[in-house]
Amino acid sequence: MNKKRLSYLLMGEAGIGIILILLCGVFTVFGRNFATGGNMTNILTQISINTVIAVGMTFVILLGGIDLSVGSVLSLCTILAGLVITNKDMPVWLAISLAILAGLGGGMACGLFNGLVSEIWKIPAFVVTLGMLNMARGAVLLISDSRTIFNFPRSFNVLGSVTFWGVPLIFTFSVVIVFIGYVTLRFTVFGRMIYAIGNNEEAARLSGHNIRFYKVTAYVICGATVGIAAILYMLRLNIASPILGNGFELNAIAAVVIGGTSMSGGKGSPIGTLIGAAIMGVLNNGLLLIGMGDFARQVVTGFIIVLAVVLDTYRAGLSRMLE
Amino acid sequence: MRKTFLASLAVLLFAFAAVAGEKPVVGLVMKSLANEFFKTMEEGARKFAAEDGTFTLIPVGMNSETDIDTQINAVENFVTQGVDMIVLAPADSVGLVPSVKRAVGAGILVVNFDVTLDKEALVANDLPEDFLFVGPDNEEGSYLVGNFMAEKLGRGSKVFIIEGNPGADNAKQRKAGFMKTVNEYGLDLLSSTTAHWETEEANTVMTNLLTRYPDVKGVMCANDSMAVGVVRAIEAAGKIGQIEVVGFDNIGACQELIKEGKMLATVDQFGPEMAANAIKVGFRILGGEKLSGWIRTPVQVVSAKDF
Amino acid sequence: MPTVLEIRALSKSFPGVQALAGVDLTVERGECHALLGENGAGKSTLIKAVCGFHRADSGTMLLDGATYDPATPHDAMSAGIRVVYQEFNLLSYLSIAENIFFDRLPRNGVFVDYPRLYREAQNVLDRIGLDASPRTPVELLGVAQMQLVEIAKALSADCKVLIFDEPTATLSPKDSGRLFDIIRQLKSEGIGIIYISHHLNEIYEVADRLTVLRNGETIGTRNVDGTTIPEIVKMMVGRSMESEYPFSEDVRPNEKVIFETRNLQFKGSAHKVSFQLHEGELLGISGLVGSRRTETLRALFGADPKIAGEVFIHGERFDIRSPRDAVAAGLSLLTEDRKSQGLILDMPLFQNTTMAALDKASAHGFMDRREERRATEQYVAELSIKTPSIQQLCRNLSGGNQQKAVLAKWLYRDSRIIFFDEPTRGIDVGAKYEIYLLLWDLIAGGKGVLIVSSDLNELMGVCHRILVFSNGKIAGEIARKDFSQEKILGYAYQEYLK
Repeated sequence: MNKKRLSYLLMGEAGIGIILILLCGVFTVFGRNFATGGNMTNILTQISINTVIAVGMTFVILLGGIDLSVGSVLSLCTILAGLVITNKDMPVWLAISLAILAGLGGGMACGLFNGLVSEIWKIPAFVVTLGMLNMARGAVLLISDSRTIFNFPRSFNVLGSVTFWGVPLIFTFSVVIVFIGYVTLRFTVFGRMIYAIGNNEEAARLSGHNIRFYKVTAYVICGATVGIAAILYMLRLNIASPILGNGFELNAIAAVVIGGTSMSGGKGSPIGTLIGAAIMGVLNNGLLLIGMGDFARQVVTGFIIVLAVVLDTYRAGLSRMLE
Repeated sequence: MRKTFLASLAVLLFAFAAVAGEKPVVGLVMKSLANEFFKTMEEGARKFAAEDGTFTLIPVGMNSETDIDTQINAVENFVTQGVDMIVLAPADSVGLVPSVKRAVGAGILVVNFDVTLDKEALVANDLPEDFLFVGPDNEEGSYLVGNFMAEKLGRGSKVFIIEGNPGADNAKQRKAGFMKTVNEYGLDLLSSTTAHWETEEANTVMTNLLTRYPDVKGVMCANDSMAVGVVRAIEAAGKIGQIEVVGFDNIGACQELIKEGKMLATVDQFGPEMAANAIKVGFRILGGEKLSGWIRTPVQVVSAKDF
Repeated sequence: MPTVLEIRALSKSFPGVQALAGVDLTVERGECHALLGENGAGKSTLIKAVCGFHRADSGTMLLDGATYDPATPHDAMSAGIRVVYQEFNLLSYLSIAENIFFDRLPRNGVFVDYPRLYREAQNVLDRIGLDASPRTPVELLGVAQMQLVEIAKALSADCKVLIFDEPTATLSPKDSGRLFDIIRQLKSEGIGIIYISHHLNEIYEVADRLTVLRNGETIGTRNVDGTTIPEIVKMMVGRSMESEYPFSEDVRPNEKVIFETRNLQFKGSAHKVSFQLHEGELLGISGLVGSRRTETLRALFGADPKIAGEVFIHGERFDIRSPRDAVAAGLSLLTEDRKSQGLILDMPLFQNTTMAALDKASAHGFMDRREERRATEQYVAELSIKTPSIQQLCRNLSGGNQQKAVLAKWLYRDSRIIFFDEPTRGIDVGAKYEIYLLLWDLIAGGKGVLIVSSDLNELMGVCHRILVFSNGKIAGEIARKDFSQEKILGYAYQEYLK
């Protein structure tokens, strides 16, 4: 491989990919049963939900925004879908289809609210989505009367454990979402505008574009991924609960940032986000397998998040040196 | 903050209305009503008040498990309004003690339930160490359900404990109960790990632990939400029937799992009646009885034969 | 006069570029030395090497006869080398005094010694004649005053060499005159001054000697007296140019009005503005800084809200509320500030080129990479944009090439009416000429072009007609045959003298 190609790869997703491979190497040596097919399947299952949310979050963060409401909106979506899916008056296939639409619709509606309010009144997304975090949590407790919903149709529940040659079905959904996100951002007019607005909103506006449309749509996309994640959650755990999802926003933001997306917007990609989510999942799994205690694990995970981002700043320098 | 304010306002309005009447007033300070367990407990208390009809009940819930402010404000508002009895499930066993002291100083009967107030803190505030507490024995409950599993697995079996929030009193007590089982039956405890009461986290933790210790035989979970996640992990690993799971709280989702044979047992601490029981004990004292220390409410193992 | 700074055979290369190839420069005490050259000639790199931002590969620097090799900007500052940049480094919420002494506030234990701070700041302000209280927050100051604060900041410590980088770019003629007085005074105090500017006529006002760089080499050093502008231009571009401005009597505006605004009012405007632009016409707008020329263009383009007024394009009435409406109606605006408004610096050249016309470079919502490449390569060739590839980030292009990239973006949009706000600011002589030629190509193709410029000679050189703004009002309209500096300035000051 020539130097230029190497530097190009380092600049892109390959840089954090190296960190991921290093981590896997360490755990393979020190962790019991880490490098087994079964364990890989487990890790893929465990990162699926976070990956899907984080892809939506990538759109929003690329615009220089943030969505703090994903955790409680996720909970809301599971309850909406859960109420529909347990409806015994409908044929099972219809209940499942409508449940997916309910989850997706609920997520998109919350995203639309976030986007419209922050765009029309020029309120920082941090504040609006913090409000949504509370609204969605309150709404889901009201709707569910704070009760967990279970007893989904059997045909739905079994899908959560389906794997193809060790690849969990729910992870293949995540990969599809990552792929759609990647193609959208890299090859479409919409994606071009997301990067343009994230880098320099004023220049994009003066080039004659409807900025508001793109920003609101990004929040709707984030809401839609939360709706999809809600369905994946129900597949994986077979429950819908009004108290789940606390702190999911931080995991999603961490995956996005570890994946090399800039918090100030304009730089990053869903592939990086997938690798970021994988780093978090591997850490979580591997540290347990090497037998580290609860509290030490938390310390190490936090440290590696910071380390990954610090290394990221060196990555740019290293690639420049090679040029 | 806002929620706290609204809660205070509600307390004031209720209290004004109540003091105007003749009936004794009972202030009920609950934990997070987002938690199904406390929600049904509150409903049980309301139902009891409606059926009994001899007193007025003012329930106050809080935002989250750690929202101590709302509780302190509620207790203080009750004191100001001069209610007859405060029934309290403290969110923090130390933090609420000064408020309790103020209420006791104002001549209000305080009944502590669900989680015991901290003994050292009680003594430091010149309150009796054996302050009246009405509640289930968490340690006893987890010990009983642990034993139920150990009987089935046999001595020396390999087990995990999935713990609740580190630092939470009931989490500590339930772990202590499980540990008693472990010692008594000589179980081989492979790992004791927290999943912060959460289903998703318990699922992840269990999946990962299974990778490390594929030959585990039993899992003791500090609550049922986590047991749901653990059962799903066992199911995904295709090991249903090979690993026994016990939980705590007897929630609907776990009853279902027990019926299906995917889970062995859980503990019923009769949550819906717990607050009502505390109120009943309070009235016994107001009626002249001398009670102090721990008034135990029943705990019971629930397994397939109960359905 | 003794030499204060001597640079001998300084070289510096970056990956793929030899930025400096043996530059010599000597600055004497009390001398103002003009440093000239086209964009990319190596001026910025030389200044950065002197100020410790870059380490030279080879060559030597002597400061007061001693070897001088700054490793960091801080080294350069402590050695007495200071720069007043085109873009100010001021903290707008802090006071003048705090800005001047920001890196070394006088202390009283852990507290700032404010009485002493204000006293010392006052001394510096007196020295350069800035008539403002040292307690004034910088955000309340005008551009010219902010620049004086920058100068005060440089002079507040021991200063041997003071470098001015395009100091008059944002100043009105009157403020520029005042700046020259200050420079003359600093010379008399024995400070060595390096003066960088694209305005060659200014050199005659303040500089004693000049050095021209081209392609990273010193072409020569001359005394300003006895060197003519054509000679300087020849040194800079390496060839002689027949005329500074292209103007042809053959290309005449059409009678047809393609753009008209009636009674335009926007926030902060005191007067209603009405004017017409003809097909094939190059219309200039002159006026002092603050006469609302830029604001008028922005309001017409929908970039800022307008309160009242109508816009007609080809006789049809358009309601323009946003840049999106304006672009759809066939309008383009090349803003004054290309870095923050014209380009997306961290995106590649080809993505900037198609930014205003994504519809032309896409199909069914997907970008058409082939079309993007074709269009960008076409403009790189036509505008002779110097770039290693169309993938190059615009941040890495030189100032003149950045301006060409903005041009490429709007040429690709191909609007009928194009507004230019200061199209040649900060651009060297050679590139300016290319831009003038391009403007003429545009009007020859039947477009209407409107230029705002602070450079009177430029407007008189290229326009058919000039409108003069004075405090938000169109104070006068001058046809080409009547162009004169006196007339323009007379109108420009008209509303301020009342």
